[in-house]
Amino acid sequence: MSKTQEQKPKRQLAKSMIMVNEQTAKVYAEAREAAEKGEPIGWSTAIFPQELCETFGIPLVYPENNAAAVSARHLGGQFISHAEGEMRYPINICSYARLNIGMADKITQPGWEKVEPAMPVPTFLTLANNSCTQLMKWYENLSRNLDIPIFFVDCLYNYYEEEPAPHKVKYVRNQIENTIKKMEEFFGKKFDWDKFLEVQKISQINRIMFNEIVSLNSRKPAPMNGFDLFNYMSSLVLCRGKESTTRILEQLKKEIEEHIANGTSTYGSKPEQYRVHWEGIACWPNLGYNLKTLKKYDVNCVMNGYVTAWDVAYEPGDMDGMAKAYQTSSTNSFSTPSIMEKRTESIEKFSCDGMLCHVNRSCKLMTFHIFVGRDIIEEKAKIPTTNFDGDQSDTRVFSEAQFETRLQGLVEVMKANKEAK
Amino acid sequence: MQYVLGIDIGSTASKAVIMTYDREIYAKTVVPHGTGSIGPKQVYEKILSENNLKKEDLSRILVTGYGRFVFDDADNQKSEISCHAKGINFLNPEVRTIIDIGGQDVKAIRLNEKGMILNFVMNDKCAAGTGRFLDTMANILNVKTSELGSLSEKAEKVVTISNTCTVFAESEVISQLSNNVRLEDLVAGINKSVAKRVASLAFRVGIATEVAMSGGVALNKGVVKSLSEELKIDIFVHEDCQFAGALGAALFALEELEKKGDAIT
Repeated sequence: MSKTQEQKPKRQLAKSMIMVNEQTAKVYAEAREAAEKGEPIGWSTAIFPQELCETFGIPLVYPENNAAAVSARHLGGQFISHAEGEMRYPINICSYARLNIGMADKITQPGWEKVEPAMPVPTFLTLANNSCTQLMKWYENLSRNLDIPIFFVDCLYNYYEEEPAPHKVKYVRNQIENTIKKMEEFFGKKFDWDKFLEVQKISQINRIMFNEIVSLNSRKPAPMNGFDLFNYMSSLVLCRGKESTTRILEQLKKEIEEHIANGTSTYGSKPEQYRVHWEGIACWPNLGYNLKTLKKYDVNCVMNGYVTAWDVAYEPGDMDGMAKAYQTSSTNSFSTPSIMEKRTESIEKFSCDGMLCHVNRSCKLMTFHIFVGRDIIEEKAKIPTTNFDGDQSDTRVFSEAQFETRLQGLVEVMKANKEAK
Repeated sequence: MQYVLGIDIGSTASKAVIMTYDREIYAKTVVPHGTGSIGPKQVYEKILSENNLKKEDLSRILVTGYGRFVFDDADNQKSEISCHAKGINFLNPEVRTIIDIGGQDVKAIRLNEKGMILNFVMNDKCAAGTGRFLDTMANILNVKTSELGSLSEKAEKVVTISNTCTVFAESEVISQLSNNVRLEDLVAGINKSVAKRVASLAFRVGIATEVAMSGGVALNKGVVKSLSEELKIDIFVHEDCQFAGALGAALFALEELEKKGDAIT
């Protein structure tokens, strides 16, 4: 190790982030413990009604969240290679799917070398297709490969409407209720409707508090490095219905309010010059490089169109409201004009000077609208945009030189715009 | 007299422009080597020696292009997006859309009436439609890249090159060669293939007249003609199009001096 590296002080983690890490470790430990005891343990899509398993007290872990964590640690390559090679999956499907399907095969083999956070072998799957339609094929493959059942809530796409039509709400509500019955049979337990109401209440407290925290970043200068939102988001994905998330968010809010009071920010001591809205999923394997380069150009990605996907808003006890919320929380379930309307509102609320669009090779759904979406944003929000190629897990797509050139170009346009005002 | 230097270090060539304080192009030169090679050093030394200048005669050096971060004598660097826009606006202030085909990327830039960038789009991570594609094809055909324009003018028909992937197109061209297809017709097809790909990108940014091409590929008359046909619009090509990036860099160097009060215009 060089002298410079030795002298470089390690960044101290905020207490709230330590709590997030502890919570994640606990979730995985509990899931592994349940698996070792032969108890049910599920793998779930990211926006499935978690309230059900939380009420049953059955542990869930989330392949998308796990794939993001593994990718951010540059450990996903072996699973992706395994899926593409021995398992014969094509390179053109989602890299989260490749990574997870590869991992699902590896972890059932004896003597595999664990990669943290290590997923236990599931006994069932829960699937909602509200954020992505490819999830259905992914989970079908998992189900067949592992020979385990899927609890599937089919959420409908909203082509022309902001509010799902009554028949769509009824369709999802009936599925949720039917899933509860099926789960009672599968788990051999009665569903506790009183506990369910409590879980719903906690879930609402958590999502409201997270929204409040996100909103704080609309202040100028922002009290948070916007990329922090990607990290804290994991509490909502993994533990939206748990009180431990409430404690984390309370701590985080306290820390952010302290930053506001002290005029400081997790962005660092060098002030932000440009505020940017990030479009698309994070480029997890390159998160560090993205952040370093953004800082080099004094850019803070204060907000993104991703973290609000877990804002599943409904009144506790209102099953129709819950069914509607699970159909609409992810903007992926809406048309391009609707998505871009929401993005425009967000860009204005967060006073963004530009937009940085991640053309995520994995996500066909989010890439579908990238160029037309840019046009809408430029016209409505009157800010410049640029795009770069990348992927949420596959390291072969991203180019550092391309990212920096486009970011620098965007910064130069934002600078000229500011000077012209 | 005092001067500024703009250098554009691309992936396949390095270009340099020296400007006077009264915004006259004093000297320009190009070497066919890009970043990571002797190119940047060579173009720097060449432009100085050809014009009997020393480093001390240069008040400011600004560098652009893919090699912009690794040029030791640079006072500053800027992206090639801003530099091409600045350079073309200087050469023709009426231009509102710029298309630059570089060695490894393609840019389409929209300008407003003040020459400010409204928007820009760049190619996907793919060599199709880039200068590198043309270099690869020229290599297979055993001709120089600079000859692709004049050869296509002698074409009797345009052969369709259906693959945009550089590797697949290479196989396709070899296959056409083995079928004794005329070289000139193949070259016209190659130029057309680039033009089609670039036109898609240009449509993304929105075409506003006047449209100009910058960069070395603009010297290829076959690409310009095909692109003009694809876009259904005349394309302005300045004789100094290849130097647009370096020229823009020199103009930015001059602006920076003016801001500091070191240059009087």
